Amino acid sequence: MAARGRHWLALWLVFLLAILGWVVARQTASLALARRLSQLRTEHAAKADLRARLEQRIREAESRAVLIPRAERLGLRLPVDSEIIILQVPKAEGH
Amino acid sequence: MAKPSVRLATVEVAFAIGVIAVIVRAGQVQLVDGARYAAQARESRTESVVLPARRGTIFDRAGVPLAVTQESYHLGLAPRELRDTDRDVQILAKQLGLSTREIRRALRKSWAYFDGPFTAAQVYPLRKIRGVHLTNDFVRFYPDPDLARAVLGRPAADGRPASGIERVFDSTLAGEPGSAVVLRDGQGRTIESPARLGAFPVAGEDVYLTLDAGVQEIAQRALGTAIQRLHAAGGDVVVLEPSTGEILAVASRRADGSPSTSAFTSVFEPGSTAKIFEAAALLQDHLVTSTDSVWGEHGVWKQPYREIHDDHPEGWMTLSNVIEVSSNIGAAKFAERLTPDQQFGMLRAFGLGTPTGVEFPAESRGRLPAPADWSGTTSASLAMGYEVAVTPLQLAAAYAAIANDGVLLQPTLIKEIRAPDGSVVYTHQPEPVRRVVSPDVAAHLRAMLRNVVDRGGTGASAALTTYSVAGKTGTARLAGPKGYLSGEYTAVFASIFPAEDPQLAMVVRLDDPRGGYAALTAAPVTRQVLEEILGARTEAIDRRRLSNEPPPAPPDQALIDAGTVPYVVQWPDTGAPAPAGPRPVPDVIGLSPREAVRRVLRVGLNARLEGLGTISRTRPAVGDSVKAGGVVVLYGRGGSR
Repeated sequence: MAARGRHWLALWLVFLLAILGWVVARQTASLALARRLSQLRTEHAAKADLRARLEQRIREAESRAVLIPRAERLGLRLPVDSEIIILQVPKAEGH
Repeated sequence: MAKPSVRLATVEVAFAIGVIAVIVRAGQVQLVDGARYAAQARESRTESVVLPARRGTIFDRAGVPLAVTQESYHLGLAPRELRDTDRDVQILAKQLGLSTREIRRALRKSWAYFDGPFTAAQVYPLRKIRGVHLTNDFVRFYPDPDLARAVLGRPAADGRPASGIERVFDSTLAGEPGSAVVLRDGQGRTIESPARLGAFPVAGEDVYLTLDAGVQEIAQRALGTAIQRLHAAGGDVVVLEPSTGEILAVASRRADGSPSTSAFTSVFEPGSTAKIFEAAALLQDHLVTSTDSVWGEHGVWKQPYREIHDDHPEGWMTLSNVIEVSSNIGAAKFAERLTPDQQFGMLRAFGLGTPTGVEFPAESRGRLPAPADWSGTTSASLAMGYEVAVTPLQLAAAYAAIANDGVLLQPTLIKEIRAPDGSVVYTHQPEPVRRVVSPDVAAHLRAMLRNVVDRGGTGASAALTTYSVAGKTGTARLAGPKGYLSGEYTAVFASIFPAEDPQLAMVVRLDDPRGGYAALTAAPVTRQVLEEILGARTEAIDRRRLSNEPPPAPPDQALIDAGTVPYVVQWPDTGAPAPAGPRPVPDVIGLSPREAVRRVLRVGLNARLEGLGTISRTRPAVGDSVKAGGVVVLYGRGGSR
């Protein structure tokens, strides 16, 4: 009986340890995930930030304020309306 | 000495009392005060935080982002947690753009805080440093801060109220903030942990404006150049799509370069641009025929209370001639055929004196006196565009009604609103306000306006070679506290492009430009904007429809010979090939400024006006040779302004 009692006690202890280990493992995993998530968020924000700044630079480089003076230095100019030819789209035959 | 058994009993009793005391206290702590202590513990270890919602993006009509939301960071530093202070200070200084001295000074405290805000790219490498604690926030970022700045406005911040679209659509853009419970350590810093989420933040909706970033940039640049070149006090350019009421561009600027909201909020007397509304009333009520004429009095009409002058003296004029040469006398005489109710009704029908309903805060309603408040001269004044005040947007919407076969549409800045998942929440549909004139009358009005430009009327310097432009100049004297100011004008050009099958309605206004007349100031800006739009990659105009547009009719030679159409030239100098060779400065001494400028332009030279009144001298002098396209300065007798 005494041996059976010790077995029960050991079983309960193992069960308790298993439960505690499970809880600790879950907490550890969730903490690691939280850190990873936070890191990914920052990484995503950093990339979004970089993208916005690159788009800003592209728009600035494409802007008339930048392009026109550079074009003029190359001897180019904005066309007058008579120099802008809009091509007619040919109509499909039989329609 | 007591017996051992007594001593043992005493110890046992004392021990039992101690155990009972501990049990009682434990019971008190756990059962009686347990809830209070648990709450205190929760309070010190956790905190409820508001999770800010990402503010929606503002796009132009083609999806170009104009205002976006980005994450920004504030940085806390625990000096005692740093492992390699020297190395960490170097990294921090480099990433945050601060000096190492500044950071070392902050490290003397037990907790250093850098408010920033720092970008995600700046703080990303700092996350791995032990002792660095980041808190994030959202900030508004404008990829092109100068593009449509006044229209976009700014969200409320630091006690500054919100403005522009950011204000009108604040509840749409803002979204719903969420909430969560986070863990804190003993010093109150957040522990990275799975937060207990109360409610997810819901991002704001995205707003797509009707503005076209390309057209907006063209308008802003043309306006800025004109203000600088003409030393104007400010100005506006409004470009509308007549068939939908969508605003493609709104540029307003002061002389110091600061943006303004004057296109919506500032009123001015429209001058001769309002003559077309009088023509609309006469035509709509069949009070005039195409052959009806009035006597132009050769430029001066004396009335009991005042004299009305025309810059260009005329004889007999039809209504079309009155519009073409912008005759004040003709307009005043034709106005006599209208009753006050008819005249007022037509101006009101075009939207003057009432807010347009555009989605912009504090839009001005303008000013239009009711007939009961009219004096004996009001009818003639209204016919000439005085005693009435409009915003540039009101005038553009009224001209858009003429372009839209007589139907006035409510102008709008909003094309679409989309939820964060991309689904469309709202799409703008054209909102007719009323039919102002019949389609036939609208076509007649467009033909009159076309003559102003294509047949060498006052708007000739807005003419394009390939496409027809319809428009009207307006040069109104500026009003001061003691009446109209001498030599200070508002120059306006309201236009429709192309004259047939219109796609754009535009108003260019310049405040007190040097050179005065709209024909020489506002009309060339219109031409410049149209040329640049034609040559740009923008989809604001349908080029397929344009390719079917008939070219403008060549000027009628008979009219030119008769002196009605004195010039058709390009203005300002666009760089187009000009006739080669120098030419003499024509004799313009003693002529009116307008006539003098016409003569100078006619010989292929450009003109700049200095001073007022008839021309007293020129630089270079009359008869001197000037290279084709060169500038001749014309000095008025009234002295320099």
